[in-house]
Amino acid sequence: MGYRIGIDVGGTFTDFIVSRPEGDVLLSKEPTTLTDQSLGVMQGIARLAAEEGLDSRSFLKQTDLIVHGTTTADNTMIEMNGALTGLITSEGHRDEIEIRRGYKEDIWDPAYPPPIPIAQRRRRFGVPERLDFRGQVVKPLDEEAVREAVRRLAKQGTESIAVCLLFSFINPAHEIRVKEIIEEEYPGVRISLSHEVMPTAPEFERTSTTLVDAYVGPRVQNYLERLEGALRQGGYAHDLLIMQSNGGIMTAEFLAKRAVASLGSGPTGGAMGACAVAKRAGVEDFIAIDMGGTSYEATLVRGGVPTIRSFWNWQHRYLVGLPMVEMHSIGAGGGSIARVEAGALRVGPESAKADPGPICYGRGGTRVTVTDANVVLGYINPESLCGGEFKLTSDGVREALREQVGAPLGLDEVEAAYGIFRIVNANMANAIRRVSSQAGLDPREFCMVVYGGNGPVHAAMQAEELGIRKLLIPKTSPAFSALGLLLADYAVDTQRSYITPSAGAQASRVNELLHEMEDAAERELSAAGLSRENLVFHRFLNICYPGQTFDMAVPAVAPGGRMTDESLEATIEAFHDLHEKLHTYAVREEEPVLRAVRVQTVGQTDKPILREYEPMSTSLDDALRSRRPAWFRDRFVDTPVYDGNRLGFGHRIEGPGIVEERFTTIVIYPGHTAEVDRYGNYRIERNQT
Amino acid sequence: MAVQTESTAPLHRDALGDIDPVTVEVIRGGMETVAYEMATHVSLTATTPILNQSNERNATILDGRGALGALSVGIPQFMLSSTLPVRFALEFFADEGLNDGDVLVANDPYHGGGHLPDYNVFAPVVVDDELVLIASIQCHHADTGGGMPGGYNAEAIDIWAEGVRFPAVKIYDRGVERRDITYMLKVNNRTPTFIGDLRAQVGAAQLGVLRLKDIIKRYGVEAVKAAVDHSIAYAARRFREEVSLWPDGEYEADCYVDHDPIGNQDIHVHVKITVKGDQLTVDFTGSDNRQDLKAYSTFGNTRGYVVAQLATMMDPSIPKNEGFFDSIDLIVPEGCVLNPTPGKTVAAGTHHPGVEVGEAIAKAMSGVLPDRSCPQIYKLGGPNVFVGNQPDTGELFIDHGVDVLAAYCNAVRGQDGWGSMPASFGNLVRATAEVNESIFPVRHEWCDYATDTGGAGQWRGCPGSRVVKRALAPAGFSTWMVGIKYPMAGVQGGHDGSPNHLTCRFDTDPCEIHNIANALPHAAGEGFEYLYGGGGGWGDPLDRDPEAVRDDVLDEYVSRASAERDFGVVFSGSLDEYDLRVEIDATRERRESLRADGRT
Repeated sequence: MGYRIGIDVGGTFTDFIVSRPEGDVLLSKEPTTLTDQSLGVMQGIARLAAEEGLDSRSFLKQTDLIVHGTTTADNTMIEMNGALTGLITSEGHRDEIEIRRGYKEDIWDPAYPPPIPIAQRRRRFGVPERLDFRGQVVKPLDEEAVREAVRRLAKQGTESIAVCLLFSFINPAHEIRVKEIIEEEYPGVRISLSHEVMPTAPEFERTSTTLVDAYVGPRVQNYLERLEGALRQGGYAHDLLIMQSNGGIMTAEFLAKRAVASLGSGPTGGAMGACAVAKRAGVEDFIAIDMGGTSYEATLVRGGVPTIRSFWNWQHRYLVGLPMVEMHSIGAGGGSIARVEAGALRVGPESAKADPGPICYGRGGTRVTVTDANVVLGYINPESLCGGEFKLTSDGVREALREQVGAPLGLDEVEAAYGIFRIVNANMANAIRRVSSQAGLDPREFCMVVYGGNGPVHAAMQAEELGIRKLLIPKTSPAFSALGLLLADYAVDTQRSYITPSAGAQASRVNELLHEMEDAAERELSAAGLSRENLVFHRFLNICYPGQTFDMAVPAVAPGGRMTDESLEATIEAFHDLHEKLHTYAVREEEPVLRAVRVQTVGQTDKPILREYEPMSTSLDDALRSRRPAWFRDRFVDTPVYDGNRLGFGHRIEGPGIVEERFTTIVIYPGHTAEVDRYGNYRIERNQT
Repeated sequence: MAVQTESTAPLHRDALGDIDPVTVEVIRGGMETVAYEMATHVSLTATTPILNQSNERNATILDGRGALGALSVGIPQFMLSSTLPVRFALEFFADEGLNDGDVLVANDPYHGGGHLPDYNVFAPVVVDDELVLIASIQCHHADTGGGMPGGYNAEAIDIWAEGVRFPAVKIYDRGVERRDITYMLKVNNRTPTFIGDLRAQVGAAQLGVLRLKDIIKRYGVEAVKAAVDHSIAYAARRFREEVSLWPDGEYEADCYVDHDPIGNQDIHVHVKITVKGDQLTVDFTGSDNRQDLKAYSTFGNTRGYVVAQLATMMDPSIPKNEGFFDSIDLIVPEGCVLNPTPGKTVAAGTHHPGVEVGEAIAKAMSGVLPDRSCPQIYKLGGPNVFVGNQPDTGELFIDHGVDVLAAYCNAVRGQDGWGSMPASFGNLVRATAEVNESIFPVRHEWCDYATDTGGAGQWRGCPGSRVVKRALAPAGFSTWMVGIKYPMAGVQGGHDGSPNHLTCRFDTDPCEIHNIANALPHAAGEGFEYLYGGGGGWGDPLDRDPEAVRDDVLDEYVSRASAERDFGVVFSGSLDEYDLRVEIDATRERRESLRADGRT
C-alpha cells in the first residue's frame, strides 16, 4: 500500500492528511489560494513530498489515493458568480422558484432582500406539456415551443440550462425530448435534467436543486478537470475522488456531471471523520462539533451514523433536495466579533475572518474577537500558535476589550473577556440543544466529539452547560475534515418518487425502481473501479402519514434485496414503529402514504490502518512546557501547559491543564480529567459530583 | 373578571440587583432555547400531521405575574394570544394559586384569546412554593365544536354558536390528570385527533417546566427573576430608543374590509398613532361601531396584530417580550369592531378586520418609516376549500388550498415586493402540485405571476399570481372573498396592487364570486381561476430607476405599455431581441409631461 492523501480546502487553510504506508498519519497546512485552489493543493503536495524526502513526482507515483473536499460549489453560491443559467419548465410553473413555497428567512424584516436569481425570469420558460401523477401524458410536449424557448435562451447567451418538468421523475420522456431539442438547437450548452439530478417530488425542491446544479456545474467541472489534470501530469495514476454532501466519495468525473452533490464537501468530511474515529474508540452516539474561525457546526450521530437529511435543506438561500449530512451551523468561531448593543453583550455572527483577523493576529484587526478573549484568559498561548510558526501580539488587545466591551457593561478587561467566552459558549450550547430537541433527545446522554482549530478550547465549558460528561478530542482534530476524506466510502444516493397510499403500493413497482437504481449505481461505481461484490445496497422506503409535508426514510424489509407484498407490509409496520420511536406516537389506524424508494449504494474502500500507540514510558512532567495563569470560573489559576507532541497513550491530566498541540489548544477544566487513549484521542471526563 | 384592557402599571422591575449582564444574557438565551424546544416538541408529537408541520404554534415563557419573557414564534400575529389568557388564570386562581404540576387549557376569545380554535396550554414553574415562571404553548386546532366543523361558522349568531369556550381549565391538578376534564374536552370536539394534539401541547408545557427548573437550579430563583426583569427592561429600553428616533406627531389612517360574510359593507378601521418623545400611543377610536356584524376582532387578536406589525417596523434584534408590548399605549374602545362586547362572533373577524389593524398602522406610518412600513397582512378572506370524494375509493377529501401562490406583498422604500406573501408568513410552507395531485383529485395548472399586477411605484409591489386549479372529480368549492373593492394600497404615491378576482368554473360555466362561495359545485374537469391581488407600490413610479423598469419589462413583471403609461419610461429596440434600451431623452420628456398632467 502506498500513500493516501486527504485534502480539504478551507477558507483560510488547505489541510492535508497523509497516511504513510506504515500506517501513521502526517498533518500539514498550506494557505488556500483563492483564485485557483489547485495551486495551493499542488504546493502543499510538493511540501509533503519534501518532508518525505521525495520529489513531487515520485511521491505522487507512490500515492494510491487522493480524496478531496472542495469548496468550489459553495463558493460559487456564496459569491453568486456561476453560469448564466436558464430554466425550461412546465407551463404555469415558471415562477415557483421565486415563490419558494412561501418561505422567507426572516419573518420580522420586511426589507429583507430576495435571493439573487440563478435564472432571471427572462430566462425561465414554461412550455405547454403535462403529465399526471401516474406519468400519463395529459398534454403532449409542444416541441415548437421548446425550440422557441431554446432559441431565446441562445439569444441571451445562456451557458447552462436546467430542465424541470412536472412528474418527470415518473416519466422522463418529455425531459429527454427537451434535451434532444436543446442539443439540436444550441449544441454545447450544459444541460441539467431534473429527473437525473433529483428524481423526486415536489417540483419546487427539484427545480431549485436542478438550477443549483446548472449554476455551479461549469465552475465545478472546470476546477476538477484542472486539478485532476495537474495531478495526472504530476505523476498520480489513479482517480481523483471527491467528498459529497451525503458523506460518501465519488470520482471527480461523476461530480463534474452532478456538481450540486459537492456542496458542503469539506465539513461533511469532518463529520465522517468523527464517525470513523469515534467508532474506533467505541463511541457511537455523539454530537460532532466543528469550531473553526467563523462557524460552528453540530452534527448528531446515532449508532455511528450521522443524521442524513433530504428535506428542507436550505443552502445559500436555495433549497437542495439531495440527502445531505445534517449540520446545524451558527456564526460562532474564533474570529466572531463581540460588541455591546444597548447594554447587552453579543458575540457573532459577524466575523473578523482570517483577514484582518483578531486583534492579536496583529494584521490590523481592531474589533474584539473570541480569540482575543481566549488570549487574555490564558487559554491560548499569548505569543504564538502553530508551534511558534504563527506569532501573536498582545498590543491593543486589553485596551480594546476595555473600550468595546468592558466600559459599556461596567466590567474590567478580564471580566469582559470571560463574558465573551461565556456568551459564545452559551450560544453554542443552545445550538446543540436545538439539534438534540429536533430529534427528541436529551444531550446529556451523548458524548461530544470535538474538532476544528477552536473547538477544543471551548468544548469543556459547553459540556458543563449541557450536562455532558464525556468528550473525545482526537489529536488529528485540526485537520479532521481531511482525515474524514480518507476514511469515507464511496456512496451513490438515488431516490425515485413513487407516491401512493401504502395499501395500493405494488411490490413489483418497488422492485422495478430498486432494480433501475441499483443498476445505475453499479454503472457509476464500476467506472470508479468497483465491482458489484464490493457494493452494499441500503434500501429505504420514504413514508409519511397523510397530510404530512415531510416523510421518513424507513429501511426496507427486503430479504434477498427484493420486496414482496408481505415485506411491504412489514416495512409499513416498521414505519409506525419508527414514527413512535422518534415522534412518541403512531397512528396505526391511518393508512400511511408511500412517497419514494431510495437506495444508498456504498462501495467500500480499503481504509488506511491507523496506528495504535504503545503506552508512553515518559512521565507527564516530561511533557510540561510551562505554566501560565488561566481563568477558571472566578479567578486566575496557575495552570500547567503541556506539549502535545510529548503526550501519548496512558498520560492522564487532572484539570486544570492546557495542552498545546501544533494546530490547536485543549483546555482541561478543574474537575475534568483528560486521558490519552491508544489511538491518540484525548478522552475527557467530568468527574462525578 | 375578563382581561380586556392593557394594564397601565409596568410589569417589569427595573432593578438589576446583583446579577451581572453576562448571566442575564446567558439565561435569556437559555429561555429562548426552551421555548424553541417546546415548539419543536409539538411538531414532533402532535397527532394531526397538518398541525405538526404547518408551524402554527407559538411557545412562550412568562414570569410569575404573566409578563412575557421569551418566545419562539410560528406566526407572529398569533403570538400574543398566549399572554392574556395566562393573566386571566392568575387572576381567577388568585386564592388557591397555581401549583406545581398544574397544567391549564384556555381558548376563549373573551378571556384573552384570539379565536376559539387557538388553544393555549400552560403550566406554572413552582420552586419552593414560589411561582417563578410559566411555560405556555398555543396551537391552532382543526375543530372547536360549535355549529359548523372547523371553527369558521359564517352563519353563527354569536360566540356560543362558533364553538365551546374554555376560559382557563386545569387539565392537570398538582401532577394528576383530571380525566373528567380531558374527557369533556374530547367529547366537545369533532376531530378524533384533537385530544392527541392537546396532549402534545401538555407534553410541551411539561417539558418547558422541566427545562426551566434546570435553569433555575443552575442560576437560582433570584438570578432568573432578575434576568427576566432585565430582559424585559432591555426590550422596553430598545423600544423607546427606537420610538424616540421617530419624528413626533400624530399619524392617522383609515382602512376598510370590503364586507363581512353576510354582506355588511365597508367595515372601517381607523387608527391614530401619536409619537411623543419615546412614547407611542396607538388609538383605534373612531373604528366601526356597528353591533350587527359577523366579523369582530377581539382585544387579544387586535393587540396581536398591533404588536406583530410594530415588530416588523423596528430593529429585528429587539426581543419580543413584555417590555416591547408594555411600551405600547394601546387604546381600543370597548364595543367597537376591534374590541367587541363579549358574545359577538369572532371567527371571521380574526382575519378581517384583524389584519386591517396591521394595515392601518403600516399605512399611517408609511411616510415616517418608509423603509419598514409594510403591512404584514393578507386579503384572503377565508381559505379556498375543495371538498369531494375520491373517485376510486369514494372517501371524503378536503383540500384546504394552502397552495403555492403570490399575493399581497407590498414594496417598502428600497425594496420591491418579492416572493409569495409578506415576511410574517414566511414560516407557512405551501403545498405543491406534485404532492397534492398525488393525494387529491385536483390539478394545479397555473400559479405564475401575472404581469402588471404589482402596484407601480418607485419601488414596485410584488405581482400577484394567476392560479388555476381544476377538480378531477365532482367537488364543492367554498371560500370568503375580500380585497376586491379594497386591494393592497400603494403608499407615498405608489399605485395599489391589483384586486382579487375569482371566477369559479371559469372555462365552462363561469360564476364570479363577490363574497361567499358555499360548496359551489364543480363537475369533474371544471376549475376556478383566482387572480390573487398584487402588492402595493411605494413612491411615485415616475421616480423609479428607468433601468429597473427595463429589467421589469424584460422579466415581464411589467408590460412595455405599463412601463410607458405608469412609469413614463420609453424604450427603443425590442423585447423579443433582448435589445431593449432606455431612451433617456424621450423618457425625461415623457416623465415631465406626465408630471405636468399631474396624473400621479
